[in-house]
Amino acid sequence: MLRFIRQRSLSSLISLIGLLVLVFFLSRLTGDPAALFLPVEASAELKQQFRELHGLNDPIMVQFGRYVGNVLTGDLGESLRKARPALDVVLEAFTWTLWLAVITMTLVAVAAIVVGALAAFRSGGFFDRFASTVSLVGASVPDFWVAIVAIVVFSVHLAWLPTSGTGSLAHWILPVAVLFVRPFGIIVQVVRGSMIGALSSAYVKTARAKGVKAGPIIFVHALRNAMLPVITVMGDQAASLLNGAVIVETIFGFPGVGKLMIDSILQRDFNVVLAAILVTALAIFLMNLLIDLAYALLDPRIRH
Amino acid sequence: MRSSVKLGVLAVGALAAGLSPALAASGPIKIVLAEEADLLEPCMATRSNIGRIIMENVSETLTELDVRGKKGVVPRLAESWEQTQDGSWRFHLRKGVTFSNGTTFDAKDVKHSFDRIMSDKNACESRRYFGGMKVDVKVVDDATVDFKVDPVQPILPLLMSLVTIVPEETPLEFIREPIGTGPYKLSNWTPGQQIVLSARDDYWGTKPQVTEATYLFRADPSVRAAMVQAGEADLSPSISQLDATNDKTDFSYLDSETVYMRLDHNIAPLNDVRVRKALNLAIDRQAFLGTLVPQDAVLATALVPPTTLGWNPDVKVFPYDPDGAKKLLEEAKAAGVKVDTPITIIARTANFPNVTEIMEAIQAQLQEVGFKIDLKFVEVAEHEGYYSKPFKEGRGPIIVAAMHDNSKGDPSFTMFFKYDSKGTQSGFSDPKVDDLIQKASAAVGDERAKLWSQLFAYLHDDVVADVLLFHMVGFSRVSERLDWKPTIATNSMLQLSEIGIK
Repeated sequence: MLRFIRQRSLSSLISLIGLLVLVFFLSRLTGDPAALFLPVEASAELKQQFRELHGLNDPIMVQFGRYVGNVLTGDLGESLRKARPALDVVLEAFTWTLWLAVITMTLVAVAAIVVGALAAFRSGGFFDRFASTVSLVGASVPDFWVAIVAIVVFSVHLAWLPTSGTGSLAHWILPVAVLFVRPFGIIVQVVRGSMIGALSSAYVKTARAKGVKAGPIIFVHALRNAMLPVITVMGDQAASLLNGAVIVETIFGFPGVGKLMIDSILQRDFNVVLAAILVTALAIFLMNLLIDLAYALLDPRIRH
Repeated sequence: MRSSVKLGVLAVGALAAGLSPALAASGPIKIVLAEEADLLEPCMATRSNIGRIIMENVSETLTELDVRGKKGVVPRLAESWEQTQDGSWRFHLRKGVTFSNGTTFDAKDVKHSFDRIMSDKNACESRRYFGGMKVDVKVVDDATVDFKVDPVQPILPLLMSLVTIVPEETPLEFIREPIGTGPYKLSNWTPGQQIVLSARDDYWGTKPQVTEATYLFRADPSVRAAMVQAGEADLSPSISQLDATNDKTDFSYLDSETVYMRLDHNIAPLNDVRVRKALNLAIDRQAFLGTLVPQDAVLATALVPPTTLGWNPDVKVFPYDPDGAKKLLEEAKAAGVKVDTPITIIARTANFPNVTEIMEAIQAQLQEVGFKIDLKFVEVAEHEGYYSKPFKEGRGPIIVAAMHDNSKGDPSFTMFFKYDSKGTQSGFSDPKVDDLIQKASAAVGDERAKLWSQLFAYLHDDVVADVLLFHMVGFSRVSERLDWKPTIATNSMLQLSEIGIK
């Protein structure tokens, strides 16, 4: 098992380094941050000085060498826009994103597995049709629309919840609910499909013949075997949340890493872009590792 | 606990106001802005996302421009000023003013603030207003300071409305906790979430009614409108036109932004004045008002809004005359001008509301009279590449659709950059224009206004420098408990002391 983790870590490390090198050069291809930090009317001297202050005048390989040196000593540089350490800026934002992702995915996992499994058990029945329709709508509806409608209904008209922002538990309800919709829709469909396969297998028929009750058949025998594809899809969905839920963050004024990343790219705040990619890539790597471990736990064929 | 204390304070405040109606109400307010301030650096306050929060709230200036009345440049930290024999300016400073860190304001602070802006240890944005000038600041005594400027600057008092004063101890590098002499001090800044300013007890001026202002940031305009409607915020300086439906709370205002199309006169066929005139006559500007552009927008005859010094009421908007445009194009064609060369309009994605539709409609109207027009949308950074010099070699005829902001009251902040031969965004070179800009910049009083007026007429009627379109309007949503209306300065500054509480 340890060898497995080591191997995975090594290959992830290589792709992480490749990613950082690529982003370093690609981001510099977009142009000069001075042109965006200073207004169009600013003089050439002032722009020159801005570049000088931030070491942007050096040849790109010198900048790269300095960057590598700094990263190795744990220094990810300063944000050009915010005049504070890039890593601080990113970690602040990432904490919000992480909580948003963890809460949403936990709720999604529980709800989607229960609904999907029950739908599969009486495939074609009323509950199945109802769940399929709901999940199809959930997987297809655009989240910015859900978010705006939710604000109009629950905050403006009913005045039950705050429109946006942070500060209390109530502030989390709308963003989490909006983020919940799509992964829930997708995962219900996967669970249902995978469970229908498992429920028609020989060991389930045997269990039924032995008189095992419906509950244990679904949740003990079939579900464990149906979980492998579900975990893969859940990993995908969680990764997209960890990258930052840009639209939900923007609408609800949630200070997460997605909006930070987009803003930094648009403003050419290179150090923040690189730090944000480093942090989210590490998080996604860790999550993939957990998924691999979950596979190994569920499937003895992988374990051995 | 905290909110109940606040409620208690509010209740007591309300009670006091109820008992003695002569006493104006006061209390905290919440303001929701579109864009967060990434820095709260006083010398960057000329950038709107920063200035809106700290300008004249935390950091004050020697002078300020009166945008509500029409008094021009009025005193703030300077009580008076005069120009001496040699053309330098002497400012007499207000006494008994303290910074929020307790130190006393004097002439040394003024000198340091200015030197800091000009220092090479930072990239202070306000420095751009002093380009090409040699400024020598001399402390005469605690309450007097001299600015010797070469060449002599007739509008130095106006320029001083852009220089925020910081205490002498402020380091030259960017700071994160602004200290100022203003009516408010920064009391909380949680990046990504909120900025809180609280009123100072030891402020030198009149005590404002707003005791505390919390700034929140939401990028989506309908969320900002919803927040004021739901009572989560009291004021949103900018909401979208679509949401501005309640005439009790939603107000439109001329926001000092002007939309225009910059023409590159260096490349044929845009080097021909008939072609440039034809472009102007082919566009039905009036048809945009109330459709794609807000009803209250004003058709432009200059790149600066009508509240600016020297704005010329005698210059008339080009009429919509497609036949006239066709005729001009034929004339030009007969004279050998290649009028069917494809011309590219470069526009910036999301530059202003409906920019895509507006540009497509203009493209169609120009094609209607016989122009060949391509339309290209680019991101901000690429747009800047087309807009500013050096222009690319080997380019075709290019029109850059852009939006320009001048809320400063004087055209000099615009004219050199946009029209002088050496201006970074100027698309042509005309000695008479250069001469007028130089003369007007150096003139004072009525003479100054007259020269600017002359320049506006010459640019519009004779040079046909560009295609001027609209002075844009913005929309604010203001809670009914506040007594406040947006002005032309609202884009760049939001003085809390001007906000009344009913």
